[in-house]
Amino acid sequence: MSEKITISFTINGDKETREAAVGQTLLSFIRDELHLTGTKSGCEIGECGACTVLLNGKPVNSCLVLAVELDGKELVTIEALSKNGKLDKLQQTFIDHAAFQCGYCTPGMIISAKALLERKPNPSDEDINEALSGNLCRCGAYQEIRAAIKDAAKK
Amino acid sequence: MSELKCVGKAVTRKDAIEKVTGSAEFIEDRFLGPLLYAKMKKSTVAHGKIKKLDLSKALKHPGVKTVLTGKDYKNKIGLYLVDRDFMAVDKVRFWGEPVALVVASTEKAAAEAVELIEVDYEELPGVFDPFEALKPEAPLIHEELGSYEVVPIFYPKAGTNVANHFKLRKGDTEKGFAEADIVIEKEYYVPQMQHVPIETHKAAAHWSPDGKLTVWSTAQSPNVVRQLLAKAFEMPMHKIRVISSYIGGGFGCKAGASLEGLVVPVAQKFPGYVVRIVFNREEDMQGTFTRQALYSTLKTGVRKDGRITALEYKMIWDGGAYTEYGVNIVRAAGYSSSGAYDIPNVKTDSYCVYTNNSIGGPVRGFGMCEMQWGIERQIDYIARELNMDPLEVRLINGMKKGSTTASGQVVHDVDYEKCLKTVADQIGWGKKEQPEKGKLRGKGIAGLVKCPAQPSNAASSAIIRINEDGTAHVMIGATEMGQGMLTAISQIASEALNIPIEKIDIKVPDTDFTPYEWQSVGSRITYTCGTSVKRAAEDALGQIYYIAANLLEVPVEDLTFDGKIVYSTKDPEIKATIREVADSCKKCTGEGIAGPIIGKGSFVPKNMTNLDPETGQGNPGMFYCFGATGVEVEVDIETGVIKVLQLATSIDAGKAINPQLCTVQLHGGTIMGLSTALYEDVRFDKGVMLNRNFTDYKIASIDNTPHIESFIIETPETNGPYGARGIGEQPMIGVAPAVANAVCDALGVEFNTFPLTPERVWRALKEKK
Amino acid sequence: MLSYEYIKTGDLQEAFKLLESREHVYPLAGGTDLIVGMRGGKFVPELILDLKDIEEFKVLTEDNKGITIGALVTLNEICQFKPVVDNIPILAEGCHSVGSYMIRNRATIAGNICNASPAADTSAPLYCLDAVVNIIGSGGSRTVPVDEFFNGPGQNALNKGELVQSVTVLKPYPEGKGVYFKASRTGSVDLATVGVAVQSWGDRVKVAVGAVAPTPVRALSVENAVNEYGEKDWSKAAALVNNDISPITDLRGSREYRYHIVEVLVRRGLEQTMGV
Ligand SMILES: Cc1cc2nc3c(=O)[nH]c(=O)nc-3n(C[C@H](O)[C@H](O)[C@H](O)COP(=O)(O)OP(=O)(O)OC[C@H]3O[C@@H](n4cnc5c(N)ncnc54)[C@H](O)[C@@H]3O)c2cc1C
Ligand code: FES
Ligand code: FES
Repeated sequence: MSEKITISFTINGDKETREAAVGQTLLSFIRDELHLTGTKSGCEIGECGACTVLLNGKPVNSCLVLAVELDGKELVTIEALSKNGKLDKLQQTFIDHAAFQCGYCTPGMIISAKALLERKPNPSDEDINEALSGNLCRCGAYQEIRAAIKDAAKK
Repeated sequence: MSELKCVGKAVTRKDAIEKVTGSAEFIEDRFLGPLLYAKMKKSTVAHGKIKKLDLSKALKHPGVKTVLTGKDYKNKIGLYLVDRDFMAVDKVRFWGEPVALVVASTEKAAAEAVELIEVDYEELPGVFDPFEALKPEAPLIHEELGSYEVVPIFYPKAGTNVANHFKLRKGDTEKGFAEADIVIEKEYYVPQMQHVPIETHKAAAHWSPDGKLTVWSTAQSPNVVRQLLAKAFEMPMHKIRVISSYIGGGFGCKAGASLEGLVVPVAQKFPGYVVRIVFNREEDMQGTFTRQALYSTLKTGVRKDGRITALEYKMIWDGGAYTEYGVNIVRAAGYSSSGAYDIPNVKTDSYCVYTNNSIGGPVRGFGMCEMQWGIERQIDYIARELNMDPLEVRLINGMKKGSTTASGQVVHDVDYEKCLKTVADQIGWGKKEQPEKGKLRGKGIAGLVKCPAQPSNAASSAIIRINEDGTAHVMIGATEMGQGMLTAISQIASEALNIPIEKIDIKVPDTDFTPYEWQSVGSRITYTCGTSVKRAAEDALGQIYYIAANLLEVPVEDLTFDGKIVYSTKDPEIKATIREVADSCKKCTGEGIAGPIIGKGSFVPKNMTNLDPETGQGNPGMFYCFGATGVEVEVDIETGVIKVLQLATSIDAGKAINPQLCTVQLHGGTIMGLSTALYEDVRFDKGVMLNRNFTDYKIASIDNTPHIESFIIETPETNGPYGARGIGEQPMIGVAPAVANAVCDALGVEFNTFPLTPERVWRALKEKK
Repeated sequence: MLSYEYIKTGDLQEAFKLLESREHVYPLAGGTDLIVGMRGGKFVPELILDLKDIEEFKVLTEDNKGITIGALVTLNEICQFKPVVDNIPILAEGCHSVGSYMIRNRATIAGNICNASPAADTSAPLYCLDAVVNIIGSGGSRTVPVDEFFNGPGQNALNKGELVQSVTVLKPYPEGKGVYFKASRTGSVDLATVGVAVQSWGDRVKVAVGAVAPTPVRALSVENAVNEYGEKDWSKAAALVNNDISPITDLRGSREYRYHIVEVLVRRGLEQTMGV
């Protein structure tokens, strides 16, 4: 039984009303229903952070949220960061510092970093560690990610 | 060489904007169209006969299209030793081996139907330890081993569990030991680890009515996938198209072919559908390659002055249930078995042994992390025994220009000494720092070397098309899994063509359109594909000159090209823009000169040979890349927690095509090495993989990764493009032994295995007391 | 994708009815245990009851009784709540040591204790603080001391039809210092191999430990030695913790290492809270 529930929400600034299957995770809803494939799946148990999105402005693991919980909420995914071809400053500093290799963790990293800069415009190393410890990067771009975030903070 | 314009510069990654905006397509993002979902039914025993496999309930489940078993696949598959069925036939050899594949119109229906399949096994005695597997009375895991097809450089022993025995005999070890003042013999153990790229393995297949098969795959090597599928399904290659996307990390686990073939017969049965299979994290960890465990014994004879006179290395590898790829790791570790050292007398036996553990296979380093763990720990034992500085022992024995490897290959473009001294200087070698109370500090160093482990006919090719406006497309078959290949290759093309990199387009491969590449493995692409691209560029450039010479009616020798304009060196007013050359290709009279410009280049190594089957002597290395790692640690003597205070790494890249990306690679490999040194090992209980998710299998995260100082050393590789050699795997190799050497320096206790978990350190300290 | 019903209600009475309407009803707070457990087949709900509209569960207040943390308050909110940070930092540390920043944006303290893992990181601090769990059901409300709330791995004291409304840390707050030490394999996002909370009240101390018994436990032997017999040798006192625990071997650590490390951390806790 895949019951569906109608939900209304804001996605990257636009209001939407959709049907969401009960039992579907927000991650799957974002990728398979909203077709926003920038958000990635790496573990489905909240450990890797590849699926990080902003829910009401806060970074969460979208694999640990039910799609139906989106009702009445505001969702921001990586796609929202570069509006009209202009990159977010974090996206630019990630490029400048080559803060990724395969790029699979990158959307989640940038979302986490974005939320960090919102709450702490001048993060220390510890702040960065705290904010990003749930975002795994097997390519090991951590040192460059740290530098990119600090650089973005200056801009 | 004249001043380089693009090579050696930190140009921005070609895939940068796509990757930071979330628009980079990974393979799953391209599974479009009417979809079917495939899910595996997996074995619940590690070794057993399939007595009953009842699919009837699953087949009746709503939404289910079909259910396949191993018998639906006619042939086996394998890269070097064809020992693997797509799914188990009659018998399972590891826990979690697929026994059936359910295909349904939704993922949910497929998952539900998997639960409805009934399987009965007659359990067979399992073998989970290669030493047990070597005993004459051990149960056989592959009864048919003698009949398997094998590349003739591997030596399986029919009627046993030995999938390969690599033998190496250099010099005379008896004589060498006789010359030695001391003999040290130690045992080492390196456990299994998992690659865990954040993107798991994924594939999809589509069959079109005209009999064309299209496969989308996370594979590191679309050409090898095509080759293996062509063979397994008895199809001509032009009827198979393998498409690659950006790969979310590979590290070896996506080399060869893995899950692609599973969905091929399904696609054939349901033309028009895209049949997808996506491994979840648990399936990925347990069902794809793991790094083979290595049990080894290392015996060295050493003179009082620190010179190693003889080495005997016995390696027993836990190859797991299938070793189609693993046999070559065992070979590579064998022919490299003296590590970064010039040892005159070497005797090595490296055995690949079947067990009922998960499938062994390639991981970053391809046997070198495992094999050089022993070497680099042993050097520290030697130093301690002789009361010498471990750095000194490394310098005395380390390879230099003209040294010979274990296989007798002479190395040329080497500055290992510089690699070692650079990291030693960085971490303040020889200076002892004052620790905090309750803690001890130590420093350690380890060296490393690796050549690409590839067959001597592993080839590469490239095509460059010059557009009418003078921009260019570079077409290659290598894959982009983060290593920065697209960027480095574009830089080589830009340099050789003298066309700015912004005017060069490059894409990930599609076997229908991009030329042949053996595999994106072994840190070989910059060298092999880079050489092909350079040749293709030179070919294209030749055509540019040819056309310009005809157009301008001056001899080719008088022409030069500055990236925009071809002009006569005698009279710069005689000139044509690249646009004019590329576009018109004809004289003003209308007479044609040549068609569109298409440069081609290909490469196969000329300096490799096969190895003597008895002595393992010969030239297996296309190039050798050296490096070193230096570490300072502080250890909490009560908790056993290791804190890395300093981490330095040096790699001799020959020429860093892109220093920024090269540095990022150095960091990445070093972090992966550190993660294995401190945290990672796969745990099995009678073949059952216990830690198969990120809750139980831990890898380094940002908050436990220290700052790394990295050094790119540039001793040009004579035959490499612009002097470059590959460096992708290397930075990982020295980290675990360097950490262990440092911890040993701090605590005075030895570790012959890792990871150095707090508990392991505590135990070692307790035993010392 | 799983099959179950999902209902979100803000009405407590309706919630109680729903809880009793099926055999397997799971309340949903942050979902960080629940959704992981469902994916792994550990929880097979017929109904998921989303609590997030229940206003009564959103309180986070300090009054003359103490600090009350509603069942829907996230761990990150607790870590930043000034009265917690100022008065009972041990709890802030416990909450902060759970998972990652993203996890703590969803995870709740109620979920942490309802899940009843012996390694639950908020538990040892709550044990030290003599916190109480405020339970509500169709039959009314009741209050249970936190150490009576944990019944065994995955077992809590809730009866069918009941929910945790909030957790209260009662006044008076400790006058001394409190620390929470977590030993784990990586020191990063990881479950506790051992968790140790030590809180001093003037010259008295409370000690609780996690992941070394089927539930978190108070290290009463240690407390007794210090509080009743005036033991000042913290090593000796800490060694007594072995009487209070029964650790097992698992992927995160062996029984022997747990015995060892818990003793070390209790001693360090005593040193830091009671002075060397
Ligand atoms: C990646 C990751 C890392 C983690 N790391 C840690 C860690 O380091 N330390 C640690 O302790 N935990 C850890 N956890 C576990 C988890 O995050 C915590 O236990 C969390 O506090 C649970 O809260 P929740 O709100 O998400 O609970 P939920 O998942 O919503 O609920 C948990 C259980 O309690 C029930 N429940 C929830 N609220 C109520 C209520 N008000 N009344 C009755 N029953 C209720 C649910 O039905 C469910 O059975 C981790 C989890 C993940 C995914
Ligand atoms: S996929 Fe959500 S955290 Fe890994
Ligand atoms: S860039 Fe590959 S996982 Fe982070």
